[in-house]
Amino acid sequence: MALDRSVSRRRLLQLAGGATLAGALAACGGGNGSSSSGGPLKVIGAGSQEAGLRKALDDYKKAHSDFDFNLSFSPADQLQTALRAQLAAGNAPDLHAVYPGNGSAMSMVQLSKANLLTDLSSQSWTQKIPTGFKGAFQNDGKTFIFSPGTSVLGAIYNKKAFATAGVDVPTTWSELLSVCDKLKKKGIVPIALGAQTPWVTQLIDYALVPGTVYAKTPDFDDKMTAGTASFADSGWADAMDKYLELQKKGFFNDNPNGTTYEQATSMVGTGKAAMAVQVSAVLQAFRAASPTPDDLGMFPFPATDVAADNWIPGGVVVGIAASAKSKKAEEAKKFIEYCGQPEVVNAWAEAVACVPLYSDGDAKVDPVLKPFLPYLKDNKAVPFMDQRWPNAEVQPTHFAVVQELLGGKSTVPAALKKMDEAYRKSA
Amino acid sequence: MTVTAQAVRRDAVKAPRRRGGGIAPPWLFAVPALLIYVLVVLYPAFSGAGSAFTDWSGVGAQRSFVGLDNFQQLFHDDQALGALRNTLLLTVAIVVVQNGIGLLLALGVHTGIKSRMVLRVIFFAPVVVSPVMVSFLWKYVYNPAPDAGLNAALGAIGLGGLRQDWLGNPSIALWSVAFTVIWQCAGYSMVIFLAGLEGVPAELHESAMVDGAGTVARFRHITWPLLAPAVTINLMLSTVGGLTLFTQIIAMTNGGPGYATDTLSTVLYKQAFVFGKFGYSTAVALVLAIFVAAVSFIQIGYLRSRETAA
Repeated sequence: MALDRSVSRRRLLQLAGGATLAGALAACGGGNGSSSSGGPLKVIGAGSQEAGLRKALDDYKKAHSDFDFNLSFSPADQLQTALRAQLAAGNAPDLHAVYPGNGSAMSMVQLSKANLLTDLSSQSWTQKIPTGFKGAFQNDGKTFIFSPGTSVLGAIYNKKAFATAGVDVPTTWSELLSVCDKLKKKGIVPIALGAQTPWVTQLIDYALVPGTVYAKTPDFDDKMTAGTASFADSGWADAMDKYLELQKKGFFNDNPNGTTYEQATSMVGTGKAAMAVQVSAVLQAFRAASPTPDDLGMFPFPATDVAADNWIPGGVVVGIAASAKSKKAEEAKKFIEYCGQPEVVNAWAEAVACVPLYSDGDAKVDPVLKPFLPYLKDNKAVPFMDQRWPNAEVQPTHFAVVQELLGGKSTVPAALKKMDEAYRKSA
Repeated sequence: MTVTAQAVRRDAVKAPRRRGGGIAPPWLFAVPALLIYVLVVLYPAFSGAGSAFTDWSGVGAQRSFVGLDNFQQLFHDDQALGALRNTLLLTVAIVVVQNGIGLLLALGVHTGIKSRMVLRVIFFAPVVVSPVMVSFLWKYVYNPAPDAGLNAALGAIGLGGLRQDWLGNPSIALWSVAFTVIWQCAGYSMVIFLAGLEGVPAELHESAMVDGAGTVARFRHITWPLLAPAVTINLMLSTVGGLTLFTQIIAMTNGGPGYATDTLSTVLYKQAFVFGKFGYSTAVALVLAIFVAAVSFIQIGYLRSRETAA
């Protein structure tokens, strides 16, 4: 009220106009799409890589007194959305998580095609990337991401639960069914499945497809690219049939579509369930959920009755890249170059339970992963399937059709037809 | 009784209007607000709408003009058409049930019962909680395990046969989400109806009672006609809310299982930020905006005519 009397109408208009102009200028300012130039390096990492990335940043900071960073993490689902929204708005962090290869909106190929990633090809560590993994790191011959190594996918199991049922680790599909049957008869849920969390839905297919598809047709991805193969007319149908066979025989927990990843993790950790098909990168979460972490082990999930055909999925884990729009791109690149040193690669890989990208001598590998190493050595590991898919729509379609299958709302041919349709859409 | 209610409305219409005096309206005062509106709302909206005619991925500068391709794709997209169906089902359920419950609650707490003020607070309380928090709370309630949440409560009262996978069963997940929204928003409708009820002159009810009108007759001929403005507001708000529902779905089901709870809002979000198809997503957003505007326009036209008739 006092203001009304003491400020004239003209003066009030001047103030309001000034405030509006200031707001408009503020809204228009800083719109060149570049990240902040002052302050610490802004870093957003994938939640599954937290232990390794944090250690690398801490160690780098100790060695470089002028370096500082601001670190935050996002779970897998949020990386696809929140971080992409920042990229779209032109305020990307200086250093951020990027998925290897192609197949998702936050993948290396998709982002490098949009000129959003800094070229790392001049760094020496890029020469050590194993030939089979180059597609995960490179697009058009240029390297755009760093990743500490490969994560394998198999069954994380509770040894106590297996002992209670008197069963051993299965090596063939028939043995797996027999083990599940015995576990079920002992009142233990054989396989915990948290299919309400979208990314979990794909894992059993990913575990089976190396055996049902790639062991017989190693160049399946090339054939898909050339249009001479399809999901519907491949071993994918066999894999999905087997997925549903596990459900029909009651080997999953009740209502998997209503169960979350966290609930499934807890079931295995506490021994209520015997195993869950998962990537080794989440071993730490299972250990945290278990009162006796040493009771957890991991084995390759068998897909066929021919042991030689039971290949494994082993994909490059979520990496980091320097934003091409960052004013601190050089600083970010220096940090990535530091990460490429063998000892840093080893430390990071050990912290997140993955197999190092390369090493100078004997790499430290989590003992739980030892059953997988012969497959990697014998070239019987297939990169995670989505890393070769041509667009970001196939993977979410896969999530959705698996939920429909588990909910009894679709059939395997219909599900694979939808995936084929998504695959044929333009990138 | 109807005659009496109409007389009151007519009096309101005939109320003397304030006519313009000698002072010109201070339009300059509106300039700051208009500038902000243009900068914050109109400019982004119209510049964004242009993306609907391109194949922009949402990141980078590469984009090509594709004409009406995105709109043609939309009307042949099974996922979008399924989402439209879900959107309409959700909207109808929310509009009918939320407002029905809101009206009953308002009538209940408009009586002379002693605890009416406490009850008003209790019924309104969910409205002030963040939709994300409410969603996570109900996700816990909908836990499919037989010994958890709603299923445990059903078992405890001997209704174990009604246990469900509330969010995991594609046939009922949509209704589980709708129930959560209704649970949270019924109190909001109640408050608006309550405001309408407070405006109904007590003397009309008294004279009707003298004439021998019962409770139902008084509601039908006095309360309901005079509640018309509150009904208009509630139907408008719940319709727009239902057509644009997003937060609860993303937080509870992410559109699943499969596509069972996808709505137009979640489809446009996924197209933009998951599939990397910003152009197509903008086309969905444009169609949704036009659809909501059209429905609102028709609805408000009808409801206003009903108010005048009352």
